[in-house]
Amino acid sequence: MYPTAFHLVRYGFLNAVADFKATYTWRSWSFGWLGRMLAQVLFFTGLGRVLDQPGAVRYLALGNALMTCVVDTMAVVATTSGERRAGTLSLLVASPADLMWVFAGRSLHWPLSGFATASAALFGLGPLFGVTWSAAQVAPVLLLIALTALGTYCVGLFLAVLVLNAPRLRNVVSNCAYLAMMAFCGVQVPVEFWPRGVGAAVQAVPLTHTLRALRAVSDGRPAAEVFGPVGAAVLTAGCWLLAAGVTLRWLVAVPARRAGTLDLSY
Amino acid sequence: MVSTEEYGTARRGASERPADPAAADAIVVEDVGRTFAVRRGRAAGEVTALSGVSLRVARGEVHGLLGPNGAGKTTLCRILTTTLEPTTGSARVLGLDVTRQSRAVRRSIGLVFGGDRGLYGRLSARENLWFWCAMYGLRRSALRARTELLLDRVGLLDRADARVDTFSRGMKQRLHLARGLVGDPRVLILDEPTMGMDPVAALDFRALVAELRAEGRTVLLTTHDMAEAAAVCDRVSLIDRGRLLMTEDTDAVGRLLSGYERVVAHGVSAGLARRVGALTGVVAVRHEADRLEAETERPSATARVLGVLAAAGVHQVSTARPDLAEVYLHLVGRRGMGVT
Repeated sequence: MYPTAFHLVRYGFLNAVADFKATYTWRSWSFGWLGRMLAQVLFFTGLGRVLDQPGAVRYLALGNALMTCVVDTMAVVATTSGERRAGTLSLLVASPADLMWVFAGRSLHWPLSGFATASAALFGLGPLFGVTWSAAQVAPVLLLIALTALGTYCVGLFLAVLVLNAPRLRNVVSNCAYLAMMAFCGVQVPVEFWPRGVGAAVQAVPLTHTLRALRAVSDGRPAAEVFGPVGAAVLTAGCWLLAAGVTLRWLVAVPARRAGTLDLSY
Repeated sequence: MVSTEEYGTARRGASERPADPAAADAIVVEDVGRTFAVRRGRAAGEVTALSGVSLRVARGEVHGLLGPNGAGKTTLCRILTTTLEPTTGSARVLGLDVTRQSRAVRRSIGLVFGGDRGLYGRLSARENLWFWCAMYGLRRSALRARTELLLDRVGLLDRADARVDTFSRGMKQRLHLARGLVGDPRVLILDEPTMGMDPVAALDFRALVAELRAEGRTVLLTTHDMAEAAAVCDRVSLIDRGRLLMTEDTDAVGRLLSGYERVVAHGVSAGLARRVGALTGVVAVRHEADRLEAETERPSATARVLGVLAAAGVHQVSTARPDLAEVYLHLVGRRGMGVT
């Protein structure tokens, strides 16, 4: 019997959770990782006070709080690349499992961690900057955080596949992607601030749309202004996942087998 | 989502086809060659890792692939495990083509390699095996039962919940073997499995290989350890510089060069040693102090050497057949384990 996609994601995820538990305790995650991310939100949002522009603080608080989950999800690039360093990549390739689903499951703890981080930032730090939520807004906000985490995770998976054969680039690529999203997707300044070409390009990034939807929820705008961006985020996330799968098969796995770059590492 | 595993010219259905139970040989390698593109500065070139290798491994056989570092052993393993395509020729495992039916091949084989890597060090042995069982399609109770069975089999049940990065080399290797068995493969490829093991652990490992043979599994074992090959293999193939030099029964390899019988004598003068060296059929003579070691290429030459020694009054004489190590050195030359 061949493993199904669900089965691979499930056990990949269980493996990831065990790995995560071995890396973090609740204390080290809360006071180490979460503390660092909240400090980042405080720093960038604090800059908004210096700007002395109405709405700047609120704008930065929403953007930077949601952005925290992207830092987590971009870790999929390093985790996937780690399979090669651990010597498990060739064993996975030599198994009957579909590598794409294995990768999708093996780093699924990062969007979960990102979800928790961004939730803490939005609901914990938000009120300090005048971002408050009614009871009716909590569920949509949580769903938007989850969508952001999963959407950017799909972007991260694509990047992870790209650097599978160039593991030295893993941190460069994930950091550049993270910084680019932070700069261009409406986190610090509106997308319209940038040239039109950049504005068009970032429409391919789920974060751009989920952030727009989050601001709409926060402002209490009509549901249509939320559902439109949500649909775009789901669509772009799906496209990134598909691109990751196609790239892994045709641009990475097949050439690697032909070129002999999938070592049985010792 | 498309499978990342399938490619090549085969129809999709062909790649899903199960292993052929009627295939006479478990592994068939026909005229396989593999070259790698290399770049030295601005110049591009090619390195030949395998050239015209043909090999058949019968079902239930433990077959040793012997050769020095860089001989091409691991390249052949990579081809058989579908992680590398051959440049020329073809290879089949249980009747399945490794290029066109790669997914089915992967379902039928187990791969074990030596060293510390290839395990999730932060996870426990049990968690590692759960994961790998899932990769081979096992679920729930079957997955858990198989994990416990394998942990018990390799003697790790007591340490099942300990982190793997706290394990000794021997324990990791046993876990590697358990991992290689999660899919209950009929063909196991063991690539330098005892590399870095202490002698006791290596002996334990050989016992496990013997058990695998008793279960009727086919094992292809690569090693450069002659003692290991002699101890566990039914047949061995000697490979060097990407070429298969010979394939024989482990004992027959020794007999092959039994013509190269060795005569050892004590109390031999330098002059007598020169006379022995001049005899027809004597291919090598070493003389140190009064000890003579003469290698002959056929039994009649051995008889001549013994006759000359007896006539000269030398009575401390013995003859011996070369062991596998000597055969190996004869065939690959005295380069030792140096990389070519």
